[in-house]
Amino acid sequence: MKRILHHPAPSTTGRQYWRSLGELSDTPDFREWLEREFPAGAAEMSGDEVSRRNFLKLMGASMALAGFGLTSCRKPEMHLVPFTKSAEWVIPGKFLYYATAMPRRQGAMPLIATTVDGRPIKIEGNPLHPDSNGATDAFAQASLLDLYDPSRSQRFIRENKVSDNATFEKYIADLRPKMAANGGAGLAFLVEETWSPTRERLRAELLKQFPRMCWCVFEPLLSEAQHFSTQISFGDSTRLIPQFDKADVVVALDSDFLNCGEGDLTAVRGFTQRRRVREAKDSMNRLYVIENRFSLTGAMADHRLRFPASQIPAITHALATKIAAATKDPGLSSVLITLKAPTRIEKFDARWLEEMAKDLMARPGASLVVAGSHQPVVVQLMAFGINAALKNLGTTLLLRELPKTPRNSSILQLASEIDAGRIQQLFILGGDPVYSAPRTITLDRKTKQALDWPELQKRVPDVVRLGHYEDATSGLSKWHVPAAHYLETWSDGLTPSGAYVAIQPMILPLFGGLSDLDLMSMVLGRPKVEGPELVQETFRATAPPGDFETAWNKFLHDGSAGHIQPKNREPKFNGNTAGGVAHTLWSTDVAPPTKDSPEIVLVSSYSVDDGRYINNGWLQEMPDPITKLTWDNAAMMSPAYAKHLGVKDGDLIEVTVTEPTPKPPPSKPGQAPPPLPPPHALMKRQLVIAAVIVPGHADNSVTIPLGYGRKHTGPVGEEAGFDAYLLRTTSNPHFIVADGKAIGSVMVKKTAGHYALSTTQEHFSIEGRGLVREATLERYRADEEFVTKIAGDEELPHRLPTLYTHPNLSAPQQWGMTVDLNTCTGCSACVIACQAENNIPIVGKLQVAHGRAMHWIRIDRYFASAKPFDQDHGQWPENPEIVHEPVMCQHCENAPCETVCPVNATIHSEAGLNVMVYNRCIGTRYCANNCPFKVRRFNFFDYSQRPVGKTKIAGFSVYQEYLGPLTDKTPAETIKLQKNPNVTVRMRGVMEKCTYCVQRIEEAQIAAHVRAGASDKTLIPRDSFTTACAQACPAEAIVFGDIKDPETRVSKIKAENRNYRLLEYLNVKTRTSYLARIRNPNPRMPDAEEIGVASPEHEKGKAVLNPMEKT
Amino acid sequence: MDGATTAPDVIAGEASASVSPPLARVPLVLNRRNFDWVTNRISGAVENPTPRWWWVAFAVTTAIALFGLTCIGYQISTGVGTWGLNSPVGWAWDITNFVFWIGIGHAGTLISAILFLLRQKWRTSINRSAEAMTLFAVICAAIFPGIHVGRVWMAWFLAPVPTQYAIWPNFRSPLLWDVFAVSTYFTVSVLFWYTGLVPDLATLRDRATSKIKKFFYGIFALGWRGSNRHWRHYEMAYLLLAGLSTPLVLSVHSVVSFDFATSVIPTWHTTIFPPYFVAGAIFGGFAMVLTLMIPARAIYKLQDIITPQHIDKMAKVILLTGSIVAYAYAMEFFIAWYSGNQYERFAFYNRIFGPYWWYWWVGMLFCNTLSPQLFWFKWCRHNIYIVYFVCMCVNAGMWFERFIIIVGGLHRDFLPSAWGMFYPTWVDIWTFIGTFGIFLSLFLLFIRFLPMIAMSEVKIVLPEADAHHAAPEEHHAVAAGGMERT
Repeated sequence: MKRILHHPAPSTTGRQYWRSLGELSDTPDFREWLEREFPAGAAEMSGDEVSRRNFLKLMGASMALAGFGLTSCRKPEMHLVPFTKSAEWVIPGKFLYYATAMPRRQGAMPLIATTVDGRPIKIEGNPLHPDSNGATDAFAQASLLDLYDPSRSQRFIRENKVSDNATFEKYIADLRPKMAANGGAGLAFLVEETWSPTRERLRAELLKQFPRMCWCVFEPLLSEAQHFSTQISFGDSTRLIPQFDKADVVVALDSDFLNCGEGDLTAVRGFTQRRRVREAKDSMNRLYVIENRFSLTGAMADHRLRFPASQIPAITHALATKIAAATKDPGLSSVLITLKAPTRIEKFDARWLEEMAKDLMARPGASLVVAGSHQPVVVQLMAFGINAALKNLGTTLLLRELPKTPRNSSILQLASEIDAGRIQQLFILGGDPVYSAPRTITLDRKTKQALDWPELQKRVPDVVRLGHYEDATSGLSKWHVPAAHYLETWSDGLTPSGAYVAIQPMILPLFGGLSDLDLMSMVLGRPKVEGPELVQETFRATAPPGDFETAWNKFLHDGSAGHIQPKNREPKFNGNTAGGVAHTLWSTDVAPPTKDSPEIVLVSSYSVDDGRYINNGWLQEMPDPITKLTWDNAAMMSPAYAKHLGVKDGDLIEVTVTEPTPKPPPSKPGQAPPPLPPPHALMKRQLVIAAVIVPGHADNSVTIPLGYGRKHTGPVGEEAGFDAYLLRTTSNPHFIVADGKAIGSVMVKKTAGHYALSTTQEHFSIEGRGLVREATLERYRADEEFVTKIAGDEELPHRLPTLYTHPNLSAPQQWGMTVDLNTCTGCSACVIACQAENNIPIVGKLQVAHGRAMHWIRIDRYFASAKPFDQDHGQWPENPEIVHEPVMCQHCENAPCETVCPVNATIHSEAGLNVMVYNRCIGTRYCANNCPFKVRRFNFFDYSQRPVGKTKIAGFSVYQEYLGPLTDKTPAETIKLQKNPNVTVRMRGVMEKCTYCVQRIEEAQIAAHVRAGASDKTLIPRDSFTTACAQACPAEAIVFGDIKDPETRVSKIKAENRNYRLLEYLNVKTRTSYLARIRNPNPRMPDAEEIGVASPEHEKGKAVLNPMEKT
Repeated sequence: MDGATTAPDVIAGEASASVSPPLARVPLVLNRRNFDWVTNRISGAVENPTPRWWWVAFAVTTAIALFGLTCIGYQISTGVGTWGLNSPVGWAWDITNFVFWIGIGHAGTLISAILFLLRQKWRTSINRSAEAMTLFAVICAAIFPGIHVGRVWMAWFLAPVPTQYAIWPNFRSPLLWDVFAVSTYFTVSVLFWYTGLVPDLATLRDRATSKIKKFFYGIFALGWRGSNRHWRHYEMAYLLLAGLSTPLVLSVHSVVSFDFATSVIPTWHTTIFPPYFVAGAIFGGFAMVLTLMIPARAIYKLQDIITPQHIDKMAKVILLTGSIVAYAYAMEFFIAWYSGNQYERFAFYNRIFGPYWWYWWVGMLFCNTLSPQLFWFKWCRHNIYIVYFVCMCVNAGMWFERFIIIVGGLHRDFLPSAWGMFYPTWVDIWTFIGTFGIFLSLFLLFIRFLPMIAMSEVKIVLPEADAHHAAPEEHHAVAAGGMERT
């Protein structure tokens, strides 16, 4: 409506003024013209009430257009959108914590998930449960990223066409009567190990409906040897639980028990408890390791013997013989008596074994011998026998009942069933057998030719596959069903020690996936359930009498059912049964590997496990704790063997494994011998893989981590590494050595080409710098203050004078951290925990190669040896020890980074934190240059904005290169959901670094203030929270807290005499300090002199330039 | 005018030496050129039609400059990651190039200011172009600190602007001192250069043949008429500016060296840096002056004004500063050893035998330390090819030196686990080459539009300018036919 403006009537008195002649003449035209509010050119304004708004809109738009050219120079715009419907319990911005658990092949890991606004953003261990005790491993931390992985399977696929849930339900409904008709004959399930009682229950129901069905469990890396040995030695449904905290002497026979990636955090915790020496009179355990490659356990060893993995049976036999001779234990003797002593054994120092055996026997009942789960049954049995002889059973080795169906069929049985044509309907729940099943899984019934799993799977008419990715197995299945993540579904599980834990979902399935329980209940024809009904049914059976709801709620709240306590059984080693089995599986004539016939050892990867985490960027980029390799696996070998092959890091080698040449049948005289099969008919497996040299690896032995080279996953994993499953057969799943039976020859040779490997640490020599301080227990006892006498620290004046004013450290609480190098295993859980907590981006293989990895914690790995070596000139230590040292921002009180920042972007807080102001940072990188620890990380590109992985530009694939404005910017929406809302996502051009999880400090501070109310008791309660890395650490090596309060854990630890600070002489006054590492060598061992040598021997008044000068 | 036609060009040293009596000073302008010749010859370079070589050279240099600018655009739009930087090497070619160019920018002001105060009359032939070179070098230098930051659009945080956040720059940071030092240096250098230009601009204005030229030269000549008052004010202003510039010559590179000297990194954390850097800057700057002057002198036939004596003197400065630099190098090694600090010791050991060993052997040892030693020999100082070779060595060597200091210090510092290597990318390389394009393009524009030699000042040092001068009649250089001999 046009607004009519009424002008005041012209005054009749006084002088007349007029604006124009028109006004003076006062024509009607002029009147109309005048009555318009905005007369000239105001067409836009005519109309109704909205016109004014239109005007403002236009003005706003033109302002915006004026600023359009500058928009690229602005920070990305963010919008805060409130819930349209409020959710129960949710206070915006406040975290909620729920107990859950992660199913693993050795048992579920109890967890606490942190959720915000209905999305889980962080995983922690469940502190209420001893199996986790609040800690996690890297896999559990990183599993969160899998939840949000945009390349996870999102659709139902039927015969390569997209389908949906309803069609699938109908398909199953149609299928049921057919399957039921013949009692489930022809029906098979191939499942992953999950240790879920509910799944067991559903399986029992399935068996009731389909009694003739076949249920097989396949886990590529779960060795049956240990399980089988335990059962025949101790009885069904049992598991041996080693008590490392009670063992004074531990012998690991190719056992990587400190690899918390196997899901067992109690071993790490128990073991490291015995490494924690607070003062010189404390005792400490001693660890002997015999292994071919450096494992996390080997890196912690006091004595380590590098020994081919295939020779472990022989050396175990030698050890068992010694112990049997000394203890006259009947059980062990009855095992040994059936075994023929090995004739050929790799050379080793006999005194080494002698003294180790003596050390073991000196502590009956307080020692422990553990064999790697992938070592053959005979080694397991001998290890049990040794433990029995050493009276460890019941003390350091407990036998626990696990309510679990004792024996499952394996994939091998399934394979022969399929080969026999007896399987029509196969359900594959999880796993990727086409990728990971052993080669030559069975022999064709008719042709006697070797068959691989893909061939077999093709023979099954109906395959339904529940998978996280549309991978190789999906490609050969009739149906692909997207699997739900464990954080999306209801389930339950047993922990490795047998406790019953709940798995509750944190979020509805993001991509509409189903869990294995859902699928099984569908096959059972049960009504569809959305909630916890299936688990509740299981729980009801065991629930304590009384109110079910209360018990159930407590179960969910605590995460575990306290009323169900796993039972221990009296372990009694049955030597006779064991011996009876052992000798049938014992091959004594396996020759030690040689240069020309080495052994190939296949191990799980510290980064991607059996390949299931291949598409997880955090884990891909997590440096391998030993090789520091990211994004790839590589064939590890000793420097000597690499020299023999003539390879350097990254050179390609070709591994060829052939079946033995058949012996010609004895020819009758006078007749021509029958022709041999042509060479190509022999089964020959080849793998071309990059080599990586690892000092301390056994000679003539090549270790290849499995799990890489998985072609059909998401963009993150597709190009990573080499597929070592190609070499894996049923007869040699763990190590391949030419034994003349299953394997004819093993050849490794250099081949043309070089493969770019990305490592995060190029220099592994500590250069005599006193960064990692290490001593033997003996030296520590002789000189408790030894740590201050390294690298010239004792010559420093107590307080160095300074010209600068100190930062104002006036806050009532002052934060600090300690890292105990004696318990840190290097497992890297802290690295991933930090990444998850602090929204740290992954940067991709190429960027890692450029030296731009963004991890705020860098776990430095040094090789140290008594004999000096010069890495620059290609010298490698022969048999070194490994020391790990996590280095994050040290929060110097006199921080060199702070003085040099021209824009005050990094400053000191009153609580002693060296803080980064991202908004203020312009990215001069001066602070990073001036950081003596090189812990500052720079966003060279928009790592958090642009996807890592294959990038396409104009149709060309540009692998992991950043092209700035030329590429897509937005990462998947789901990845954004993972971000911690309390931590800024950094844009490019900004420096970042460890903040001591300042968001956690602030959260605790706010909570303290809220509690305090009007009172002045605003201090954060002592040790009430900690940083992400400290929280995740299964070894409790990292401790964080208030250093002003002398009663906090961190203050007490800092008062210990092993405490030292890095680069003390710079007088930067770091807030993070380290506890020196103590090794506990047996003085009678032949290599005792070579242990604990990482620290330089500092001669007074003469600093050591480099280790070469020491000699 | 036939200013560009060939002069007899007795290549002068021996010729003039044979003419002059023994022990007499060698005249600063040879062949007894008079005022008129000087004016015609120098103005001629500006007034004559643009020679073809200039177009060719300018096309090439601007093309390079544009490509360099494209690289900068790519780097800014995409991220600093387009360069080969990493952790631990947070600075590499960017700051190397910055220090390199800033160093080059020292010679000009040294020649104009310090030599002026020291009454070194020979400076008059070279100061104008040396100062121009200074400005262009500082422009090139200023590019790098600008673009090397991660968020260029926030670089204004460096300026002490009162904002609502009430956050000031960190006045403890040497990087901030750099900002002030370089901008002050540039401002004063421009003023100084421009002040010196005024009389010559007036000359060009007076000689201008077109209205446009007359207008622009007239504007910039600020109404200079050459009156006594003008000269009095001019000389006082010039003297004051010279006095103002002199400390700047010493301060700028001292401040630049504080970027390193105030840090904690081994090989950076060194008190010797300020004098070492200043000497190095003069060293590199003189080499660059010679690098540009030697071809310009030949092309524009200025051998009578820029004589072997000038080259000889500049070579001596190079020898002196080169020797100071060599001494500094040696002292660094000595102190590293004498300190007993294992990190320092290792860093210097690593400088010679580490992965960047050849940078040291070629750049610092051969180019910077050994090659200038040739200038102990007079015949080397007088052989234009040897002089040019040494200058090129020094140009390269000074770049290497900065690279060794910056990258060599960073790539292996305290924690061996964090050691790494730096590899330049094509963007690194082309950005650097691009600055040469910018530098040379500006220099070509300079010699095309401005008198490359200070005419008025050269005339002051001619014998005729001396009131007591009596020109010997027989040497009066007027050719037959009354035309001036050129």
